[in-house]
Amino acid sequence: MISLIMKLAGCILIIAGSSGLGVWMAQWYNKRLETLEYLRQMIILLKGQILYANAPLEEAFDTIGKRTEGVLAELFIKISERIRTQDGESFNSLWKEEVGLLAQEAPLSKKDRQVLSGLGEHLGFLDRDMQERNLLLYLEQLDIDIGKLREQKQERGRLYISLGVMGGLFLSILLC
Amino acid sequence: MRVHAPLLMICNNREYYITPSGQLSRQVEEAYLISRQELKETMEHMSNYSLYAFEEEMKQGFITIQGGHRIGIAGKTIIDEHGIRTMKFISFINVRLSHQVKGCASAIMPFLYKKGDILHTLIISPPRCGKTTLLRDVIRQISNGTKNEPGLTVGVIDERSEIGACYQGIPQNELGIRTDILDCCPKARGMMMMIRTMSPRVIAVDEIGSREDLEAIEYVINCGCKLIATVHGSSIDDIRQKPVLRKLVQEKRFERYLILNNKVRIGNVSQIYDSRGNQLYPNGESYD
Repeated sequence: MISLIMKLAGCILIIAGSSGLGVWMAQWYNKRLETLEYLRQMIILLKGQILYANAPLEEAFDTIGKRTEGVLAELFIKISERIRTQDGESFNSLWKEEVGLLAQEAPLSKKDRQVLSGLGEHLGFLDRDMQERNLLLYLEQLDIDIGKLREQKQERGRLYISLGVMGGLFLSILLC
Repeated sequence: MRVHAPLLMICNNREYYITPSGQLSRQVEEAYLISRQELKETMEHMSNYSLYAFEEEMKQGFITIQGGHRIGIAGKTIIDEHGIRTMKFISFINVRLSHQVKGCASAIMPFLYKKGDILHTLIISPPRCGKTTLLRDVIRQISNGTKNEPGLTVGVIDERSEIGACYQGIPQNELGIRTDILDCCPKARGMMMMIRTMSPRVIAVDEIGSREDLEAIEYVINCGCKLIATVHGSSIDDIRQKPVLRKLVQEKRFERYLILNNKVRIGNVSQIYDSRGNQLYPNGESYD
């Protein structure tokens, strides 16, 4: 009898655990979509600062960082501080370093981080046309990613939760 | 700074080489040689990785950075149908450190007033003789007022950010308590804007000379404001040779001409003339 109760409790815990994992993954997916949408807004603001206010990168990152919030705002403020202190590095290397240090809890995939890291390669280089093209290229990439995420939002959410529950059930059956 | 050439510094009119350890030397063998990569990185750092923000200035061959320091550049110019588009392969950089010398205009201030009113003044000086430094102190003293004269509102059109050295709109140099600054604004348009918006008694501009400037100067003079301006040259005759400014000299628009040189020291006022060419400065050099 006790062994049956133990098994039952174990199964419930496994199902609850794997279902929780499924829910967490679905939430992470939604948060990633929200973060990319927010990043898109920040890049549009950056474009405005560069093209219309003719602000240097230090001022542009600082202004946007202070007007926004979250880990990406912190990243922008850090970049601005690094430019101000100037320790002899190129912009590309300090940008890559700071994007690499971006908090792990930021809901961004490895690919998102790689694309964001690549943005620094041509930023600040040459004239304003070049800045505009570079930012538009990145925005285009973001739009594609956001479009895909939005398209698959419902089914992915359901998939993660169902997989979690079903996976838990399967594991419970297998172990029993 | 020149590519593959020694790093040079000029201080108090003397030239020094800079050694790899950062010391000053008079021996060319000890000088540090500059590489192309170092020059490129210098440009990136001076522009805070934002060369695009200096696009318009680069077309004129210089950028002005935080602190009002002017960085002259030379390299290969890229031309399009509108003129110089930009510059690439920048291989020569000339860094001019801006500084303020408070009180450097004290000796000449009494000559710029007549019966308590400021006079239209043109400061004539060859490059590197301290005309911007003198103009800065003249502005400060007019704005704050002197022992005998009350302070006046001054509008400064600082096209190259050299006079006020504004950083994010705030002047880094002291220009007086009654001074308003239009930073990075073309002189001609700036003079009109300033008069319409800030009601200054005195307008101050650096390095006049274009045809648009002439129209704006006439507007300033005709609307009752006083003008303090600088121009490149070494005598009134030089100014008479300039196609645009000739008219103003002939019409005796300027009531004072200050001639600068660097014979004794930088910023030395060699003579002051009135509109008829009479010498007024007893401490100055005599020209006949």
